[in-house]
Amino acid sequence: MRAGWSYVGRRALFALITVFIAISLNFVLFRLAPGDRTSALRCQGCTQEFKQQLRADFGLDKSKPEQYVIYLNQTLHGDFGRSFVTEQPVTSELWQPIKNTLPMILLGTIISIMLGVTTGVIAAWRRNTLADKGTVWGGILFYSLPTQWLALMLILYLAGPLNLPTSDIADPYLAYNNAGAWAEFVDRLKHMILPAATIGLVLFGEYTLIVRSSMLEALGEDYILTARAKGLSDWEIITKHALRNSMLPIVTLVFLSLGFIFGGTILIESVFNYPGIGLQIYESVGNRDYPMLQGAFLLLTVVIILMNFLADLLYFKLDPRVTE
Amino acid sequence: MTPVLVIEGLHVWFELPNHKELHAVKGISFELEPGERLGLVGESGCGKTTAILAMMGLLPPTASAAGKIILDGDDILAGGDTTMRPHRWKDISMVFQGAMNAFDPVKTIGSQIQEPIVKAKLAEGKAARLRTAELLELVGISGSRQDRYPHEFSGGMRQRAAIAMALACDPKVLLADEPTTALDVMVQAQILKLLVQLTDDLGLAMIMVTHDLPLVSQVCTRAAVMYAGEIAEIGTTHDLYHKPLHPYTRMLFSATPDLLAEQTVRSIPGAPPRLDQPLVGCPFQPRCDSALTVCASEAAPLRTGPDGHRAYCHLKDTA
Repeated sequence: MRAGWSYVGRRALFALITVFIAISLNFVLFRLAPGDRTSALRCQGCTQEFKQQLRADFGLDKSKPEQYVIYLNQTLHGDFGRSFVTEQPVTSELWQPIKNTLPMILLGTIISIMLGVTTGVIAAWRRNTLADKGTVWGGILFYSLPTQWLALMLILYLAGPLNLPTSDIADPYLAYNNAGAWAEFVDRLKHMILPAATIGLVLFGEYTLIVRSSMLEALGEDYILTARAKGLSDWEIITKHALRNSMLPIVTLVFLSLGFIFGGTILIESVFNYPGIGLQIYESVGNRDYPMLQGAFLLLTVVIILMNFLADLLYFKLDPRVTE
Repeated sequence: MTPVLVIEGLHVWFELPNHKELHAVKGISFELEPGERLGLVGESGCGKTTAILAMMGLLPPTASAAGKIILDGDDILAGGDTTMRPHRWKDISMVFQGAMNAFDPVKTIGSQIQEPIVKAKLAEGKAARLRTAELLELVGISGSRQDRYPHEFSGGMRQRAAIAMALACDPKVLLADEPTTALDVMVQAQILKLLVQLTDDLGLAMIMVTHDLPLVSQVCTRAAVMYAGEIAEIGTTHDLYHKPLHPYTRMLFSATPDLLAEQTVRSIPGAPPRLDQPLVGCPFQPRCDSALTVCASEAAPLRTGPDGHRAYCHLKDTA
């Protein structure tokens, strides 16, 4: 078959190099910021000697290249230091919010893909009709709405009638009452549906436009006429040929935006008080919790690079012409 | 013999964005015998491709067609898509102009040839694969290459594969729309030879659309010359070449370079008329080198000759 592994290998190497650069930039950025980890300390016992002692503990009295080597070494071992607030290791402090955020943004992305692909296909197939204009303008409208406002509207108008919770991630009484795994699962789902719907609604407009334009391009191709001539139904033409070809730009877009949503949930998670990575970043900024922020930023960068890498792999799988 | 395909007064109109209509095909009629090869010749925009797309029911939504397309005694145009769809590819199939783009780039050649076979319930699974291999062998491609993707084929091979795909459901009529345009001369010759051999072997009737008149006289027994949406002249290629009844046919032949003839290539001055406006008289009259005064005002009458030779022209003699 194709020279697949060399492609995967090259992409992986490229991703690793990018991660390394991101790690290094992360080091530089936090040291370019005015002050250091000890400058924010305000307390009775925070004398110059105490701060000096702390700096020595953190290794901040060493030269920058030395610090860099130590930092690299720690990062490679998954050690991002301890949170200033809880004094727990950053890795374990970040793990729980990530586990909370992931299913929520996955659900949100699935909603947005389903909405975006459906509306995009309808718009392209019924080009220049009311259905086309309606879906495109609807998509643009939702895309332009402020995220937090849309989230508030969902709380105002949907949470009540649908009896959905508007805050937190789970009902604490369920666990207390031993309601069982299924009830807890349903409760979790109820808690994430509104934030996920916000993500879906904000994002789908972008997908609508991309799906529409790439579908229109595909529908104009000769192989679509050939497919029609072969007696395929409209549905078969769309699903087997047109959509398959227009998936290529969509896949890239979805994976790239997955990376960005991961960091972009700050607004949504603040509105819904959802204890995910976004809310964690928001709180860490307020607490000047440098190690947490450093860890979170690095994590976001790695997620975006990873998504890029996955998009490349999937592209390779979807398009037989990609060999380089 | 009873003709396999009869076209009777086929009209096609396109609706233009400014609510005007463009009369692209103006009531053409002809018959196609089983196993016969008919050339459809004319300049760009004369309606030849539109006419054969109408025969497949593949016109864009802005177009409307009228007239009769009688396949084996049934008018398949009468019921629109409903009467057309059952015959697509099974009775009438097509080799498209763009050899490069007739295949979906993300699917294997084999799977695309299989598509109509499975759709028509002729074969499934392993049998369909076997049939695909057979078809590819028929056009001179190794059957084991059916798992290759279009970009792994050369232009000539892709056109061969397109022909194999057109033969997938054993059609009675093959429509070939400029099947050799994008190919170099050597490959062109191979493809034409293949088409002639296949139609002979399979008893397949073929309509070949092209602007290349000499090419038609090599491949086809009969040809129809189209001008401004009408058939200006139809007859055996021999008659068209030696005894043309319409000056346009004669001028088309002399507009093609000939290595052995001493005469130089003569182009036809002017351009075809616009089809979104009504025409008075013979549409070719402004460009004709032997036009009479009557040509500008009155529509040309039908002239007939032996072997179904027909032309619309005011001239009384051979053109």
